[in-house]
Amino acid sequence: MTELSPAEKKKERKLIVIWSVTFLVLFPFLVVLGYMMRLNQAERIHLGMDTFYTLLTLHGLGMAGILFSISFAALWYLIATRYARLKTGIGYFVYALIVIGFSLLAFATLVGKFGAGWYVLYPLPFKGTFWAPWATGLACASLLTMGVAWLVGIIHVVSNLAREYGGFTNLLGWQYFKKGGVKRELPPVVMITTISTVPGVIAFLTGAVMLVMYVLQIFEPTLNYDPLLMKNMVMFFGHTLVNITLYCCTGWVYCLLPEFTGRPWKSDKIVVLSWNATFIFILFAYFHHLYMDFAQPVALQYAGQFISYLSAVPATAVTLFGLLAQLYHSKIKWSAVPLSFLAGGAGWAIGGFAAVVDSTIAVNTVLHNTTWVPAHFHTYMLMGVVFFIFGFIFYISHTKEELDKDILGRVGLWIFAISGHSFIATFYRGGLRSIPRRYSDYSGIPIEHVHQTGMFLAFMAVIFITIIFVALVIIYTALFKKFAKRRHALVMEPAAA
Amino acid sequence: MIYFPTLLFSIQAYSATTAFIAGTLIVATVLFIIFTSSKGSDDKLAEKHKVYHVRDRYFLILTLAIIVGLIISLRFLPYEQYQGKPAEEVTVVAMQWAWKMAPGISNATPEAFTGESEITLPANKLIRFVVTSQDVNHGFGIYSPEGLLIAQTQAMPQYKNELEHKFTEPGDYHILCMEYCGMPHAYMIGTIHVK
Ligand code: HEM
Ligand SMILES: [Cu+2]
Repeated sequence: MTELSPAEKKKERKLIVIWSVTFLVLFPFLVVLGYMMRLNQAERIHLGMDTFYTLLTLHGLGMAGILFSISFAALWYLIATRYARLKTGIGYFVYALIVIGFSLLAFATLVGKFGAGWYVLYPLPFKGTFWAPWATGLACASLLTMGVAWLVGIIHVVSNLAREYGGFTNLLGWQYFKKGGVKRELPPVVMITTISTVPGVIAFLTGAVMLVMYVLQIFEPTLNYDPLLMKNMVMFFGHTLVNITLYCCTGWVYCLLPEFTGRPWKSDKIVVLSWNATFIFILFAYFHHLYMDFAQPVALQYAGQFISYLSAVPATAVTLFGLLAQLYHSKIKWSAVPLSFLAGGAGWAIGGFAAVVDSTIAVNTVLHNTTWVPAHFHTYMLMGVVFFIFGFIFYISHTKEELDKDILGRVGLWIFAISGHSFIATFYRGGLRSIPRRYSDYSGIPIEHVHQTGMFLAFMAVIFITIIFVALVIIYTALFKKFAKRRHALVMEPAAA
Repeated sequence: MIYFPTLLFSIQAYSATTAFIAGTLIVATVLFIIFTSSKGSDDKLAEKHKVYHVRDRYFLILTLAIIVGLIISLRFLPYEQYQGKPAEEVTVVAMQWAWKMAPGISNATPEAFTGESEITLPANKLIRFVVTSQDVNHGFGIYSPEGLLIAQTQAMPQYKNELEHKFTEPGDYHILCMEYCGMPHAYMIGTIHVK
């Protein structure tokens, strides 16, 4: 790829700064919703059941939406400035659609009271709802808008990468297994971008079909789809979306960490093989969401457990060990960027392991839809993805010298790690004590000490979330000081440039 | 009032706890090693090779663990474990927002089926619950008198999920809804009296 001109670079930087600031604004707002839910479960405030489920829905869909969006935007930025030319205009188009989509979602939930939960399980939005059909329609429209944005963005990125690297299979790294050697090295971030986003295309198309089916039923209420098929579709869509969000993050970790350790991190046969295996695992791991649907063919249940177990192999043996090989005895200065990446890796490992535990069918019978489930994916997302994102934002906003001098950011990240894991521990403990997830409050549970345990853990969570807010204030102070410093030029020199 | 949670888990929850604590300890140990290994080495390749040497062993151990884990855990599946003929069959229909239960297999449509949110069943006999729903998805979760989730299956409209269970202890068991089904989802309760 030809070097970008300074003007072009500036344009790309502006786009990623806008993305980052948008993320930094929306994220704490969605955390507040989580805080309110825990307060309600602790019976310290009384939201009303409808409000609780409305907030739950906005929180879940909103978080999943913005986390994938910012992760994709980060990859976009790295690719556009280093590996293949991308059209900034399309970047803004994607951004605009996501903002519109998010706004529609906020309207559908906060005003329209749409509250079907983040996976909108069919036929819930059509029966016994406390919101009007238009809110369902608007929520579907908002998700379709975001889906279109992602599809457009992904297709643009992957097709330009394919042109740059001489074909799609080269993006998957297949040339590493051809005779005659590799003509052009494949940067891992390019391969990972492909491998995480292409399953995304399949998932988003499935999701889009499903949403259109929903919209049709709004206009034609006599329609009646197969609920098991719909559940397979929505789980495939939702599981893939959150799964690939984390894989996107590993893309920029492969790309940026070497700048801090001074050790190269390259594609080779093992890396290629493991990521190609991951491609398959991403598509089929979702079966573990349907273990308690005894009507699902048993072969798929076995496949679910088998594939979920296997997906731990490339994730840990290749990527996490690669991370350790980068860091071990590397004389690294633990500035905010490598610190975030290591913390994110730990969150990924713990959350992933908790998922593997729950993907054991025998264990799932007592953990399915208890708070163990939010426990594992909050570890994965909040202590994994969000850490990786913070690391990335520190990277684009700070120079290397600033990172070395920064204390605030580091302190904030440590507090964030400790309070975050403690908050999530209340979910794990709840799951082990059979506290069901998605209960607006536990006062209806006829077994008194289950009620008390749920309430007690929710109150503990409230305390820890309060500390999370402190951590966020510290981290944000560090970040926004640097954003403000460069406000006029809107130019963020990357740390190692 | 301060409530001290007791240590009261099922076997599965014990296994999950043990595995999870072990996993977390491993992660913590690795983090500790990485943090305290800050003294650099000039021979960077040698350091990398050390890690990759450990990785080869890890790979073997992991493969072994997966195989053993699969062999052991796949023997305990909740599906089609017909350990002989059930002593009693119970039809369960979930609805927004109540449980309808009655002994025997019913041929009525889920809407027409009549049942109670309470039922009395014998202890130490194999019971088969045939579970469905007349509207949206619900989750049929059986809680022991101590408050442990001991068995569950989804209640999905148009499908029948068969759950087999043997109550070993008499007492009042409760049904909680395990799948979000609308506003009063957290208040959708049933009771099984085991005599
Ligand atoms: C400090 C930050 C966060 C707090 C305090 C928080 C809190 C909560 C709470 C209390 C629930 C309801 C749990 C229940 O079922 O009883 C929840 C659900 C959920 N959260 Fe978070 N959360 C946080 C971060 C995140 C992040 C980063 C994500 C990223 C994807 C996320 C995604 C979700 C999802 C998908 C649900 C499930 C929604 C549903 O069941 O429909 N949360 N969260
Ligand atoms: Cu229900």
